[in-house]
Amino acid sequence: MSRSLKKGPYVDEKLYTKVMRQQDTGARQPIRTWARSCTVVPEFVGTTFQVHNGRHFIDVFITEDMVGHKLGEFSPTRLFRGHTNKKEGIRGGKK
Amino acid sequence: MPRIAGVDIPEQKKIRYSLRYIYGIGPKFADEILAETGIDPDTKAKDLSDQEVSRIAEIIDSGYVVEGVLRRQIQQNIQRLRDIRSYRGERHRRGLPVRGQRTRCNARTRKGRKKTVAGKKGVKG
Repeated sequence: MSRSLKKGPYVDEKLYTKVMRQQDTGARQPIRTWARSCTVVPEFVGTTFQVHNGRHFIDVFITEDMVGHKLGEFSPTRLFRGHTNKKEGIRGGKK
Repeated sequence: MPRIAGVDIPEQKKIRYSLRYIYGIGPKFADEILAETGIDPDTKAKDLSDQEVSRIAEIIDSGYVVEGVLRRQIQQNIQRLRDIRSYRGERHRRGLPVRGQRTRCNARTRKGRKKTVAGKKGVKG
């Protein structure tokens, strides 16, 4: 189910103002954020975010194609390192 | 045999149904196209005049995305998801379900035939 058009896209307001401020000053360092559910709007293009995935901040450089997606889509929360091999035993466990 | 939109050769069926053999045309579009041409949807495909066939072809060409073009479009959409390294793109790359379905069991359409793993529960290893 997609979001009602009436409401418009969800954009994290604090993050948005932060991006705007950065564009004014021309500063270019990545913005750390936890706002995974924030939609990427055209104004974000060219900005680098560090999107939290529950453990680390993942660098996400916003390109034009990413507009309309959520920030969280680019910061995977799961790490699959292959199935365990019976003969070699359990590999390392969780890491 | 009538030939519409490239290679497709629908046959002995009513045109309404045979149009659906074209990739990208389903029940809805088939009826829509026929309504636009004014052809009786219940005529057999073989009974259509050349004129009628070309009229159908014309409408499909002008207003519908079918066959190769459609396939390419779909591929491009998937490719875009991959290129931006989104979650959905990653799922496509791995051949796993894209829309949040469970994968503990089932998901066979995406994962393909079962690969039995010895020692897993239920399998005597």
